[in-house]
Amino acid sequence: MTKRFLSIMALAMMAACGSPPPRLPFALERAQTVDQDARRALRMGDAKNARILFSQSLTLHQSVDDVDGAASALISLATVSHQMHDDEVAIRLLDQILLDRAGIYPPEWRATAAFRKAVILADTGRTDEASSVLSSADTLCERDCPLRSGIDVLKARLALLKGDAAAALELAQSVASAQGTGKEERANALRIVAAAEEKLIRLEEASLHYRAALELDKSLALSGRIEEDLNGMARVSAHLGRAEEAAGYARRAIVVHDAARKNAPATIPAAP
Amino acid sequence: MTLLADKDKRFKNLFGRAAIFLVLAVSGIALTFVMAGVKKGIFTAKSSIYFVAESGQDLSEGMPVKLSGFKIGTVKNLSLDEVGRVQVEAGIEQKYLPLIKEDSVARLIKGGVIGGDVILEISRGSEGKRALAPGGTIRFERTGGVEDVALELRDRLLPIFGDLQQLLNDPQGDLRQTLKNLREFSAEMRVTRERLDALLEHADVAVTGEAVPMLHSLRQSASQLEQSLPVLVYKADSTLDNLKQTSETIRSVAEQSAPQVPGLIGKTRDIVDGVSTSWPVKNMMPLPESGPVKMDSHD
Repeated sequence: MTKRFLSIMALAMMAACGSPPPRLPFALERAQTVDQDARRALRMGDAKNARILFSQSLTLHQSVDDVDGAASALISLATVSHQMHDDEVAIRLLDQILLDRAGIYPPEWRATAAFRKAVILADTGRTDEASSVLSSADTLCERDCPLRSGIDVLKARLALLKGDAAAALELAQSVASAQGTGKEERANALRIVAAAEEKLIRLEEASLHYRAALELDKSLALSGRIEEDLNGMARVSAHLGRAEEAAGYARRAIVVHDAARKNAPATIPAAP
Repeated sequence: MTLLADKDKRFKNLFGRAAIFLVLAVSGIALTFVMAGVKKGIFTAKSSIYFVAESGQDLSEGMPVKLSGFKIGTVKNLSLDEVGRVQVEAGIEQKYLPLIKEDSVARLIKGGVIGGDVILEISRGSEGKRALAPGGTIRFERTGGVEDVALELRDRLLPIFGDLQQLLNDPQGDLRQTLKNLREFSAEMRVTRERLDALLEHADVAVTGEAVPMLHSLRQSASQLEQSLPVLVYKADSTLDNLKQTSETIRSVAEQSAPQVPGLIGKTRDIVDGVSTSWPVKNMMPLPESGPVKMDSHD
């Protein structure tokens, strides 16, 4: 009797475990599906479709007043636009969060938007504007904010872009050696350390740091950054008078560049 | 002091019996492992072959590799190369390696409508080509699933049926014009035969004996042609009608089933979602990404 009862209980528990989670309201479920489809498109290198799908996701989240979902979709949309070199559109999308006077978006979303806008501005050479936006991200980002290491690396990058190699080196070194820094930002920090050392003619150290950045970038399979690391190593080797080694790195960088270009996303469509 | 057990017959040779039991148990377990290993092909000699894929999607270590529907090996290792492509190493049982040729192609085929069934199939290659050497490299292709094929088929068939229908219905089209010409020709043949009849009736007695049989033969031919032509025209007419009906039927079937395709895909998606969020499959699925798309300080 007890045996049968236990068997039935075990079966009931297994059935309870086996049942799928309760379904969300239709509009939210659809928004999430579209969002996942957009990410899948982006992973496959189809940025054009990803942008269309993130735009749909944004409308769906806005239609049910889902602030977090809408902010996430807006930032994703801006990021994809930036990846497609449509930077003005990307900045306008981020400004929808940053210039919001109604206080709809909480500080963590504003910090994320400010950080990404600063990255885009830095990429387009508008370093002064980038510094100003980055300082607002810095203010909004509290102690355990996940953007901390990214903000510090961007500060170092901006210092390097403005020609202050010593400041860049100091900032980037602190991030590269900090506990809890993610692989991407550690690699970025190491690349900045190497570039700063290259400017300060500390070539042996620069070569080592480029190599460390390359290892991390290879483990992340980021073609553009692997190319940058290899080019840096080629420059440093050339300065050190190791012409053959420099040529080898330069050749590898060209192979990576050409192959990555073949996988590049298609032409830029009109802004949504 | 002797132990009580020594006096009991049941404890006689206790260590010996226990040892035999243990040896048998250990042997049984070892045999089970060996049999499972044999079944899994662990002890089968294997050679590695390689191919390069643009993406590692749907590829996984341990997935079976098939040739003509038979399992001939497994995917041993997946790794990213310097340019971000996926290097795939497949371990193939040595006895099957001669069946793979230098121009064989590894294809990732999506099986059923319900997305999970992905098969890595290697084609046999051309007969004239040499067998692939161990460590050799073959080409890799990815083929679409049933939904892709259905949608592609629909997209290709509909315009063809549209064109066919236009061709059949166009009064100025080649087919209609040919039929019209055939009818006119048939009518003209009737007139020619009547003229020949009249000519034979009024044939002058002075006409030579050779001309009359020739005219008779000509009349016979015209009469045969006159009988055959309407049948020919009728047959051509009904063939065209059949062709038109078939084209209309296929078009309407394609149009009726087209709206069902998204529904079918939607239902499939519901089923896949349901299964993928249920125990124990959900433990095998990657966690869905949340939050905005990743971007770091160097993007």
